[in-house]
Amino acid sequence: MAMIDLDKMLEKVKATQWALADIDWDAPGAELVTKEQWPQLKDFMVDLMWIEHVGARGFAAMAKKAPTETLRQLYSYFHAEEQRHANAEMALMKRWGMLEGDELPEPNINIRLVIEWLDRYADGMPYYVLGTVIPMLEVALDGALCTFLLESVNDPVCHQAFEKINDDESRHLGVGFTVMEMQGHNKTSIQMVKMMAPMLDPRLLLGIASYLPLLNKMRDNVVKMGLPEEKLYAAMNKFKRIGGRTAEGRRNPWYQFIQHHGSIMVKRSNRFYHIPVDAAVKVTGLIPRRMLPAVPSWVKELTWQPTA
Amino acid sequence: MTDTPRKTARSSAAAKKPATRKVATGKATARTAADRKTVSARRDAPAAIVTHKPAAVLIVGAGFAGLGMAIRLQQAGVTDIIILERGTDVGGTWRDNQYPGAACDIPSNLYSYSFAQNPNWSRSFSGSREILGYIHHLVKEFGLERYIRFGKNVQELKFDEKKGLWSATTAEGEVFSGRAAVMAQGPLSNASFPDMPGINEYKGHKIHSARWDHSYDFRGKKVAVIGTGASAIQIIPELVKEVEHLTVFQRTPGWVMPRPDFETPEWNKEIFRKLPFTQSALRQALYLAHESMALAVIWSSPLTRVAERVGRWHLHNQVKDRWMRRQLTPNYRIGCKRVLISNDYYPALQKPNCKLITWPIYTLCENGIRTVEGIEHQFDCIVFATGFEVSKAGTPFPVTGVGGRQLNDEWSRGAQAYKSINVAGYPNLFMTFGPNSGPGHNSALVYMESQLDYAVRGIQKILGENLKMLDVKPHVQKQYNEGIQKRLAKTNWNSGCMSWYLTEDGFNATMYPGFATQYANQMKEFREKDYLVVPG
Repeated sequence: MAMIDLDKMLEKVKATQWALADIDWDAPGAELVTKEQWPQLKDFMVDLMWIEHVGARGFAAMAKKAPTETLRQLYSYFHAEEQRHANAEMALMKRWGMLEGDELPEPNINIRLVIEWLDRYADGMPYYVLGTVIPMLEVALDGALCTFLLESVNDPVCHQAFEKINDDESRHLGVGFTVMEMQGHNKTSIQMVKMMAPMLDPRLLLGIASYLPLLNKMRDNVVKMGLPEEKLYAAMNKFKRIGGRTAEGRRNPWYQFIQHHGSIMVKRSNRFYHIPVDAAVKVTGLIPRRMLPAVPSWVKELTWQPTA
Repeated sequence: MTDTPRKTARSSAAAKKPATRKVATGKATARTAADRKTVSARRDAPAAIVTHKPAAVLIVGAGFAGLGMAIRLQQAGVTDIIILERGTDVGGTWRDNQYPGAACDIPSNLYSYSFAQNPNWSRSFSGSREILGYIHHLVKEFGLERYIRFGKNVQELKFDEKKGLWSATTAEGEVFSGRAAVMAQGPLSNASFPDMPGINEYKGHKIHSARWDHSYDFRGKKVAVIGTGASAIQIIPELVKEVEHLTVFQRTPGWVMPRPDFETPEWNKEIFRKLPFTQSALRQALYLAHESMALAVIWSSPLTRVAERVGRWHLHNQVKDRWMRRQLTPNYRIGCKRVLISNDYYPALQKPNCKLITWPIYTLCENGIRTVEGIEHQFDCIVFATGFEVSKAGTPFPVTGVGGRQLNDEWSRGAQAYKSINVAGYPNLFMTFGPNSGPGHNSALVYMESQLDYAVRGIQKILGENLKMLDVKPHVQKQYNEGIQKRLAKTNWNSGCMSWYLTEDGFNATMYPGFATQYANQMKEFREKDYLVVPG
């Protein structure tokens, strides 16, 4: 992917906005979700929505650290757009009768841990760390999970919503890959080593410790739901291919790190990685909910209602 | 309301529109026989051009600046003055900004003229009505009614180099002229709704902070406030008490500092009345305290860090929620934008019937505002606290100088003047709050007094020596501005944030890069050799 003009992209982002009210959430087609699909689809949607939401918080942190005003504005928009995706996915869940009253779906424990980490430490992380992690997650969402959802669900409203969501995501990816390349541009070896220095930061280590079990749990959830593993491999290959398309992109040490990790994460055969991370999933599952602090107020901003 | 002008929207096109004003009903003011004659003549033949006898000095605007100018001229013995005012009452900014909670963020003892001190200020930071009352008092005290022509909306100022006369043409086609002219129309006196997508589609009630609709009943209404600048932070605490629900849309958070606001006890007023030097001493102390703030606000210094710490402490002290604190934490250096002062803004945002929204607005629609997180927020009324229109040209009406030169054209890449008051090629013309005269840390009236006294000296020279032209030399003006821009580059205003102080190209034609004392010193000296003098 060639580098894109970020100023033009900002204009495009501003010109292509949409609202939940643009979609008729009561239109016919909800019955096309089958009874067999319903329970697993509900779990899938809950995970998807929460991932969008934590992605939104990631963009909020990047907006604080953005090196230029254009990027700051882009990330501010992306923050809100990811929130819109989570809102739209909740509206779909409402349509399919998956929400109980006005309550937010309960996030799983690993999501809760990531939310806690984001709330406390994300704003302090270097820009290039989140700038590489987020495109990887978006490729997984865009390339594997959403495609799979559209293949399995025939509801036209779901397709209408995801058409808009995918358009947004493609712009996020365009910017994400451009920024990854910018981070690798003209980097000397010393600078590259410096970029990896945050790996010694306990806050980042804590973040990794909450992030890895989440990925494993999500991976297993979607596979259980019927997502072919090949789709995950393809998504990680896409990340590797586009991110490493230019020398600048390949020179970004975080790209190298994340893409290696992505390949390992999707392949169940790597026992050295999966045995300890699966153990972490089990251990985190034992954490009593009451030990966790109250959810931060940004989580309560989520809503399925198109108007307020 | 701040003591200095504020603006957010930049629209040169908008500035070309004739400004409409809703004015407060003021007390009856005397009109001259000439005016009455003009009005009746206009009724008979609206297109007829009425030319009035030239005056010594023509002043545009009857706000603080225009009235102050008239007082100082009068005190210097010049009484052949005409003040053209487009409204039906004096007071300018303070007449127009009557929104709930409107007040000055500079202590009243400093935000008043040193030559007309008021011992009766009720609080340390007075509200806009009390300030307007002070302005009415000035008019009465100094007998200024006789100079003012109300309802004269100036459309053009033109210099006749043969006669050495400035003439002002009003919307009705009347022509007033003067040997010298003073542009005291206020740098930010035009307010209109911002150029936001979908603004015309919104069917609910719209109110601009600077043109408050006092007839609108807010009780039981869902209301939005767009903007979190100096006006908004005063409106929000008042509105939240009345409305059913208030939603505040913020684009960029400001630095908010505590406001040491106290009621003035009666005994204190009595002391000021009986011993006026005590009030002067307090004024001097306040002046020096504000001067010291320049070190924090104008330049980056250890005091800047201290000021930021105070701002963060204030936020931390008043806002308990971590995410809300994050939303309200500025990401630019203090001073880069106007510093806000309030004790009740943060608490108001946390009231159960108030909500702060920081999602970007992407359009207004029939029922409200759509933000990028996909939600349509519906309202009965939207309050636009979005500041003022500012033309890039910096002149609210065409100003024609020697040889037909247009000030709009010359200022198209940023306004420039000599000592903020004169512009080469526009002889005998004086500006109040001209280019690079804005304070970021001290009372605007302190700056204004220096400008008025400088203008008096220039005008006295023109009238006393019967000059046709007193015109600043172009190279002097150029040299002055090079110095100003060099100094501005080192200030917090030019440190990277987007603010109304800067043009779209990042040129700062608004602020004075220094202490008020430095500004006053430069204005104390009227250097004749800097001017081209053409005898009459």
